[in-house]
Amino acid sequence: MKIKFKKRDLFGWLIMLPSLILFAFFVWEPLLENIRISLYSAKGYDLLEFVGLDNYIMVIKNPSFFQTLKNTVMYTIYSLLIGFIVPIILGILISETVHLKGFFRTGVYLPNIVPGLAMVWIWSYLFTPGETGVLNILLGKIGIEPQVWLTNPKWTIPLIVVALTWKGAGSTALVYMANISSISPELYEAATIDGAGIFQRITHVTLPSIGGITKTLLILQVISVFQVLYEPLVMTNGGPNGASTSLMMQMYQYAFRDYNFPAASALSVMICIILIVLSGLYMKLTKEKEY
Amino acid sequence: MNKKAGFWKAFENKKDGAIRSYDLNSPMVKALVILIMIICLMFVVISVFPILWVFLASFKDIKEFTRNVTIIPDTFDLSRIKTTWQSLHFQKYYLNSLISVTGSVVCAVFFNGLLAYGFGVLRPKGYKIAYGLVMWSLLIPSTTCIVAVFRNINLIGLNRSFIPLWLAFGANAFYVVLFKEFFEGIPKDLFEAAQLDGAGPFKIFTSIVLPLSKPIMVVVAIFALTAAWSDFLLPYLVLSGSGKETVMVKLFAFKDTPTDAVSVLRATLFAIVPPTVLFAIFQRQITDGAAAGAVKG
Repeated sequence: MKIKFKKRDLFGWLIMLPSLILFAFFVWEPLLENIRISLYSAKGYDLLEFVGLDNYIMVIKNPSFFQTLKNTVMYTIYSLLIGFIVPIILGILISETVHLKGFFRTGVYLPNIVPGLAMVWIWSYLFTPGETGVLNILLGKIGIEPQVWLTNPKWTIPLIVVALTWKGAGSTALVYMANISSISPELYEAATIDGAGIFQRITHVTLPSIGGITKTLLILQVISVFQVLYEPLVMTNGGPNGASTSLMMQMYQYAFRDYNFPAASALSVMICIILIVLSGLYMKLTKEKEY
Repeated sequence: MNKKAGFWKAFENKKDGAIRSYDLNSPMVKALVILIMIICLMFVVISVFPILWVFLASFKDIKEFTRNVTIIPDTFDLSRIKTTWQSLHFQKYYLNSLISVTGSVVCAVFFNGLLAYGFGVLRPKGYKIAYGLVMWSLLIPSTTCIVAVFRNINLIGLNRSFIPLWLAFGANAFYVVLFKEFFEGIPKDLFEAAQLDGAGPFKIFTSIVLPLSKPIMVVVAIFALTAAWSDFLLPYLVLSGSGKETVMVKLFAFKDTPTDAVSVLRATLFAIVPPTVLFAIFQRQITDGAAAGAVKG
């Protein structure tokens, strides 16, 4: 009997082995390798000598580091103001419809199938300054002067977040809708008997019922926006004047513009640490609230 | 009159949401329902318009594009788009993308499915360690380690090849979780009955798990298909200058090569068409999968 068990275990591990090798090659080893590279000086991909934390100091001392960090935090804050709220509103509103529900669902989900890079090009054109820019044409029809859009440093980050939200909101709204549809109608009916109007039913029944999933989606969004990379890279090249450069974009520039791989690794280790702290903080927060 | 009554009658079967059929006696609530529909319609317009605009603007030539203050093009002349297709050699990029995507989908289903079969059904001794490591990698986004991944690929000499891009899709923690949850939902009696009949784990896999798993394989395949089509960072690093560039690599490269606006726009159109067609075919699976999948991801 015991021998049979062992054979079964061996078979199980054999089945899993090829996939585990892939995980090791593409995920786990690179994570450790990243830390190692960040502690060495290098010429191209050849590591030369151990330099301790010099690369980290160099990255932090770079005058643009704090600007970039601040930008990344701004991306996150704006995405909480815009990108987090829109899907909740969408989910609630579409859940309230009876007619054309499928059409609304499909319609708002459609931007999600546009590849990220295509989205970036489309929005670059929408935001073109001057009177032939698409949004300026539309604004002109209602008598508003052409805007400069992304070239105004104050507007760059919020507008990139608008583009991100345009692409992502529909699929998040579908998650909220799935959760809203699992709320028992009796809850609404009980609230009605207690004298709650429609708006109160939404604030007292719908919103608390989707509270759990809202927290999960919130942290997922923070984690994903914190890594914003190709949107500023393609739409503004980090400009104007570094106003939209994100941490990930700076990492990309260290690696594939300056070929300074140790600096890129040092920065990405720092990004990883921030993300792990954020995830940990979130887990702690949600646990405390449950008890 | 009759039609109008039917409109409100439909609310008797309303399942979701705070507005219940008994609220509709109030004209205020009726107005609210109409208002909600108008707002939803506006959201759909905002969602669809930019995509529609790409289709429309692709018919403009460069003069019209940069000078005319209009949304609708003067003419709908397909030959202009065809010219761009030929001059940018998009046939080649489509073919490369096809090769890259096909291999990625096969790897995504095969490797992650096998691993999940181990985690969800076989559960060999000590599997929890490996499972914990896989779950951890859900937290750490792959792009942060792109430098080390690219270095690994160079070290084993797989640069300028599709192979690392295919294999990268075989290590996706999210797909593993999707498969695992599905396998765990298969009734245990099926496995026990098969074991009593003397079937080994391999036989059980081919005769029970595989036939039952078609729905989840379709979901993962669709996810992997769209992800592989849109993927560009690793493909850009691995394939640049190899003649194997995919559609997205080409689209990314426009950033550094001055190209006229209309060509970039038409290239964007070419990049959108395949996922749109896919969406039209698998609409149901994609929206249902998105609603269920994102929760666990």
